[in-house]
Amino acid sequence: MAESPISTHDPKNDSQGPVQPSPQQQKQMEQNYAQMKRKMAMQEIGRKIKHKIMVLSGKGGVGKSTVSTGLALSLAQQGHKVGILDIDITGPNIPKMMGLDNHRLHVEEGRIHPAKGHLGVKVISMAFLLDDADTPVVWRGPIKLGAIQQFIGDVEWGDLDYLIIDFPPGTSDEPLTVSQSLPNIDGMVIVTTPQAVALLDSRKSITFAESLKVPVIGVIENMSGYTLNGVTTANSPVEIAGPGGKTVKSTSDENGNFSVVLDIFKQGGGKSTAEDFGVPFLGALPFDPGFVRGGDDGVHKIVSDPEGASSIAFTKIVEAVQEQISDKAPSTLEII
Amino acid sequence: MAEIMPTLIRIERRQSDFHLTYDNQQEYTITYHDLRHACPCANCAPLRNEDETSLTLRSQVESYKEHKPSVNPVGNYALNFIWQNGCSNGIFRFERIWDLANRRDPDNGKQYVHGAW
Ligand SMILES: Nc1ncnc2c1ncn2[C@@H]1O[C@H](COP(=O)(O)OP(=O)(O)OP(=O)(O)O)[C@@H](O)[C@H]1O
Ligand SMILES: [Mg+2]
Repeated sequence: MAESPISTHDPKNDSQGPVQPSPQQQKQMEQNYAQMKRKMAMQEIGRKIKHKIMVLSGKGGVGKSTVSTGLALSLAQQGHKVGILDIDITGPNIPKMMGLDNHRLHVEEGRIHPAKGHLGVKVISMAFLLDDADTPVVWRGPIKLGAIQQFIGDVEWGDLDYLIIDFPPGTSDEPLTVSQSLPNIDGMVIVTTPQAVALLDSRKSITFAESLKVPVIGVIENMSGYTLNGVTTANSPVEIAGPGGKTVKSTSDENGNFSVVLDIFKQGGGKSTAEDFGVPFLGALPFDPGFVRGGDDGVHKIVSDPEGASSIAFTKIVEAVQEQISDKAPSTLEII
Repeated sequence: MAEIMPTLIRIERRQSDFHLTYDNQQEYTITYHDLRHACPCANCAPLRNEDETSLTLRSQVESYKEHKPSVNPVGNYALNFIWQNGCSNGIFRFERIWDLANRRDPDNGKQYVHGAW
């Protein structure tokens, strides 16, 4: 570097002229400088992004990434400037859901520029670093966490209203690194499904959240019920054999249309978990095969069907989230 | 049912109780013992299901020396109280604190079911 910003001038040695640092010292100084710059960049990012929301779950595959993209798109639909940071190094799948498959990292003047997905949502994913989407990167310990810090510090997000951060499953080091690097995180959203194990793990996440000192914004129950629509004769009773030997009853309307909600898994678990822990329940998302198709062909259900039941469910959840993180904060609360 | 909860604007930590001021200009007290007995965490809450264990929880709570806790806001929906001993896990939603201020059972008489699934 011709114009190193680090001065090697030491007044004590003036008489002998400037002393050249050893290559090792030079390297160390450059590293320190880079780290300091990164730290300042993180502070700056903290200021330019109004709300930062972490999305976590104890168990894998419960729909964190589906929820992250859904929240982001739903917020974008409301006209907010939104970004998603996909922290999942081993299996990043946000780009696919956002129609950005095969996108490569865009670096300009040492800054990483996010890609723009559906509805203008800015996306940064570890997947952008991979040559082959099917080969997961196996990073270990410090390298992985260093990469995350770099990803947070070196991305040029610009001004954002919301940054949604999608994590790999479990209570590992990543959320800790993020919560320590990024100032003023609003809190975390915990995704669960109504199954026993997922619930047990979401309980762990809540305890984990407490240990991170990041507030829990609330619990979202995903894959809550499956809505079955059909047509039969007008104004007649309908009986459907649901899962677990349960009969679900309904009546068709004057046009013969009916719809019933089948509980694929036991329902209401997310709500009771939230209640047990005294954290807010943000709402339930229906089981919607459209999410799987959207994940495969890169068009999220919210984009392809903005009026559909799932989009409406997301809008309600977004409202609940906004209510929790709105600026009415207890800053007015005086504690003496 | 549609009671509107006023906003808590001031908490004064006294010798053995909180003195609370709400924006409806009403003032309330909650003793430290009452608050700690009503802890919503997954360890304490199930103990209130049965009278016997609830009394045990009560005497446990009363055995701690009364002292001012530190009070930390959780998001904008709850408070967390840190005590020198015993349980400090509970995240007390403002609704819960409001119930306690009004001498109402914050559990609404509802049993805590551990592992409700
Ligand atoms: N409400 C839903 N209805 C139907 N399918 C869903 C729903 N939510 C998620 N899925 C599907 O479940 C699978 C897992 O979802 P997703 O990738 O969002 O989970 P995840 O928690 O991010 O997983 P991982 O732990 O691997 O990161 C995907 O195929 C997704 O399309
Ligand atoms: Mg995921």
